[in-house]
Amino acid sequence: MLSMELNAETPAPAALDALGQIVGSVGFTGEATGVVYLYSSLDFAILITSRMLGIEMAEVDHDEMVNDAFGELSNMVVGYIKSRLCDAGLSCTLTIPSVVRGQRLSIGVPSEIQRRIIGFRNCENHLLAEMLVKQKK
Amino acid sequence: MSVKILTVDDSKTIRMIVAKAFRPYHCTVLEAQDGIAGLAIAQREQPDVILLDYTMPVMDGFEVLARLRADRELKATPVIMLTAEAGRDTIIKIANLGVRDYLIKPFKNELLIERMLRVLPLKLKSEGLERFKRFDDPIRILVVDDKPAIAVWIREALADTPWRITDTDQSGQAFDKCVDPGADIVLASLSLANDAAYMLLQELRSHANTATIPVLGMSIRTATVEQARAQEAGFAGNITKPIDADALRNSISRALKLDISYKYFKQCGSALALTLPKDSHQNASDVVSLRLDELLGATVEAGGDRLIIDLSAIDTVDLQVVKLVISALESCKKLSMKHAVVAQPAAKAMCRKYEESNSWSFVDSFDDALSPAKQPGK
Repeated sequence: MLSMELNAETPAPAALDALGQIVGSVGFTGEATGVVYLYSSLDFAILITSRMLGIEMAEVDHDEMVNDAFGELSNMVVGYIKSRLCDAGLSCTLTIPSVVRGQRLSIGVPSEIQRRIIGFRNCENHLLAEMLVKQKK
Repeated sequence: MSVKILTVDDSKTIRMIVAKAFRPYHCTVLEAQDGIAGLAIAQREQPDVILLDYTMPVMDGFEVLARLRADRELKATPVIMLTAEAGRDTIIKIANLGVRDYLIKPFKNELLIERMLRVLPLKLKSEGLERFKRFDDPIRILVVDDKPAIAVWIREALADTPWRITDTDQSGQAFDKCVDPGADIVLASLSLANDAAYMLLQELRSHANTATIPVLGMSIRTATVEQARAQEAGFAGNITKPIDADALRNSISRALKLDISYKYFKQCGSALALTLPKDSHQNASDVVSLRLDELLGATVEAGGDRLIIDLSAIDTVDLQVVKLVISALESCKKLSMKHAVVAQPAAKAMCRKYEESNSWSFVDSFDDALSPAKQPGK
């Protein structure tokens, strides 16, 4: 659906700040509870939107289209994660996606939360997926 | 002929992707951003298929589907569920909902089209506009039944039509016969062994050159469960055995959307003549309404300037007739066409009971309507 090749890369934790111009997030709650954030630069988000919709980048409406497409992409990523969790016996429900924009965004994480970050790269563009999971007591 | 596809998804991105995927095809894509709007559009537009998102705020896909199934008009509408969740439990839950198919997001457009073709035929716009098949065209009918007597009976029942009937008792040969010599419609027995009728339908739908061939199921009257299953699977209708000749013709006509408007319309020089039959005004009204604007437009394009509505054959002028004439005259007015209503004194008197007829330009005979000297004004 993205019509582009993404390669996994090892992300540097500091890279989150540099890339944080648009962040899509979807939470999950149930036997597994947490949230997944998807970070990218606005330029890459526009490219992703144009590829998803099959239109030129110049035709992309920077606000509504990008927010919706990035939210939907986050939903698909977390939908896949949810499927893996459910298949492992951790049934959970997803929240609706939300999108935040800004400069040098960073997410604060309490110490008891498990954090996993996976990086992806397409040419010079980077996409980070950050998964926060609350540990079972 | 255009089909209606309704996409219900809270993501505008997905709705745009769906709309774009179907752009090359003769179809109308309707969009709804949530379940409530989706149900309202479905009730109003009666779509041929619904693409339904599973996870939505306000009303999720599960609840929308339950309401669709509880609606008498919509319960048979095929639903393809879209979901971002590919987990085993979710898939089992979706499969148990009675949906026709499901797609995991992200999906490729080709896959969406392939799944849609399993449910209903789609025609590429590039194939061009095919003219409506007429009732008196040599329609090719393939009968697939392991009881040879059925094909014999159908041949006899349709002997007075120019329709060509071929048959096979070998379901394995049916697909090949649809390709060569070809078939416009297939009548397949639902009681064929190993669900052969359903397998044939699937095979026809999965090939572009046979995807649009309608398939009618044949079963005994009491096989209601089988009939419901066939409808759900995408059969275009059902013919019950013993077969009634009229019902058979009607089912074939409906499935092929055969044009019988030639019974009512005729080009007479610069005029389009619309002749209403003695009775069956409802049937005539349905057919005329469907083609009137198109034929009036073609008449004007070809240099014509008038519509003649011939009421001389009818016995009774009822509200149906009056509504039809009003509608026809409104279409004339839009195209700046003249009109004439041919009516005998008795029919004219019946028309006059309706105030709306005051503006109608009556003439006594069809010849008068054609004669320049006796033509009434616009």
